[in-house]
Amino acid sequence: MTIGTQDILIKHNARWLMDIAADAMLIADADGRILLANPAAERLFGYTRDEFTGLTVEDLIPRSLRASHGDKRAAYATQPNSRTMGAELEIVGLRRDGGEFAADVSLSPLEKGQVLATVYDITRRKQAEQALAAAQEFAESIVDTMQEPLVVLDADERVVSANQVFYQVFQLTEEETLGQVFFELHQRQWDIPALRQMLDEVLPQERRGKAFELQHEFPGIGSRTVLIDARVIEGKSDQPNLTLLTFLNITERKRLEAEQARMIHELESANEELKNFAYVVSHDLKAPLRAIGSLADWIAADQQDRLDEEGQEHLRLLIQRVRRMDGLIDGVLRYSRIGRIHEVAVAVDLNELLHEVIDSLAPPAHITVMVASGLPAIRAEKTAIQQVLQNLIANAIRYLDKPQGRIEIDCIDQGQSWRFSVADNGPGIEARHFERIFQLFQTLNPRDRVESTGVGLAIVKKIVEQCGGQVWVESTPGQGSTFFFTLSKNSQ
Amino acid sequence: MNPINKPILLIEDDQVDTMVVRRALKELHVANRLEYVENGEEALAYLRDPAREHPCLILLDLNMPVMNGIEFLQAAKADPELKRMPVVVLTTSDEQKDKVESFELGVAGYMRKPVDYQQFVEIIRTIDAYWTISESPA
Repeated sequence: MTIGTQDILIKHNARWLMDIAADAMLIADADGRILLANPAAERLFGYTRDEFTGLTVEDLIPRSLRASHGDKRAAYATQPNSRTMGAELEIVGLRRDGGEFAADVSLSPLEKGQVLATVYDITRRKQAEQALAAAQEFAESIVDTMQEPLVVLDADERVVSANQVFYQVFQLTEEETLGQVFFELHQRQWDIPALRQMLDEVLPQERRGKAFELQHEFPGIGSRTVLIDARVIEGKSDQPNLTLLTFLNITERKRLEAEQARMIHELESANEELKNFAYVVSHDLKAPLRAIGSLADWIAADQQDRLDEEGQEHLRLLIQRVRRMDGLIDGVLRYSRIGRIHEVAVAVDLNELLHEVIDSLAPPAHITVMVASGLPAIRAEKTAIQQVLQNLIANAIRYLDKPQGRIEIDCIDQGQSWRFSVADNGPGIEARHFERIFQLFQTLNPRDRVESTGVGLAIVKKIVEQCGGQVWVESTPGQGSTFFFTLSKNSQ
Repeated sequence: MNPINKPILLIEDDQVDTMVVRRALKELHVANRLEYVENGEEALAYLRDPAREHPCLILLDLNMPVMNGIEFLQAAKADPELKRMPVVVLTTSDEQKDKVESFELGVAGYMRKPVDYQQFVEIIRTIDAYWTISESPA
């Protein structure tokens, strides 16, 4: 104590000191009766100085804690000693208005069993402690609910902590894990050279080991593929560094990847086979067919005198069937070739394109082909869209059965796509055939009446679907059909 | 076909196709002699035989056993003695790959064999007309 402070105290008494103190002070007698309370105590508990003198210490704590407090006070009276704050006791204060607060109390024994108690409101400190505890609990719950096993090692590669998933996946218990050398765990399941190398050599230099994949036969667990990620947790101030290891079980993912690769390979070879098949068909079926055609032609020419009318008719039918089969083979080839070579999307003026298509089809005089006015210029694979329109219009022309044929072509903007339509007033199609007509080699008429390979609509469907669109038909039998197809604006 | 005293060499394994070419040439009164071999290997042997007269034109099938048409072209174009000889491919194949490879190997034409005999005759007529007018390096 300095001379200066002595001077201050000389001019004042103890009362003055209590009155100016910021902390609540109470003096109680051996029976707990309150003898004196300072203004800070009045502010803390909400009693006036006069009211305080009628109270005991027990009146200042919640009812539920009073009984035990009486015993504690009695015990203290037999062995009075100075007790400072934070002596491991949970103390709760009770205000006049019934409100409770977390408190800490310092006790100083006075004479005749009297005690000076200084009461501190520690509500804010408690709240901070609770928030900290909650944050810690939150962090721990995250670690524990993580799907990935993780384990923390100290500098000696002993396990400091691990989460529940780690124990579950690698079939370990907390008891046999914590404090143990990681590489010696459970039949040395982690004693893997690549992992040792990462922990001992890579990590000390790089702080974060490159995540690496490890396939390992774990004793009693089986083969697992795990992605291991290691990083150093820098110790604060004098705390040592720790190593955090996380394990991502990618066994299933690896299996699926392998499965996917196998399927893609299968698909590729099937595709390759199909391509070869088409090639073989073009050669090996066509050569004999051509021979049949030529020989039949020569018999018809050379043996004309010897053949009767029936024989000549038979030869004519034979040659016709050869041509039909030739058409079928060409159809298969054209169909199988779609999508093998992708064109680049170019600007296509639909008016121009449709006029070219219609010109090339040369519709007979009784059929009027009308193209809606003001069709847009679009970006598309030109040959593909040309083929689709050509096949649809050619079909409409081929099957038209009315003396005044009408074919109307339109294209409307649907926002994300264009919708084309080719409408005719032909014979129409029954709804039950709507699916069938788009299949390869399906025709609704005997081939002798309308020469058709049954490839046209199948090609239309394949092209449209490969461009990400749809094709369908609406029809009223007897009155006509409308074929629709869509073309995505951004499929290219 | 020019020159008229030189033969046409047909490289073709299909007997009827050979008959078709022979008959078409006859029908068109093409005076050149027709020589024929069954695959690329036989064709190389023919062309490298000093006793044989070099043809004015080779008609080449692509799909053949032993040595196919593309392999023949590779060998012929690598041979300084043979590389300038005009070759017209006469095939069933409509494969883009075959067309590209053929022209990369310097063929003078690529004709698809039609199933219809009369169309075949027209093709041979066109080839004959062209090679009657065209000059050849040999």
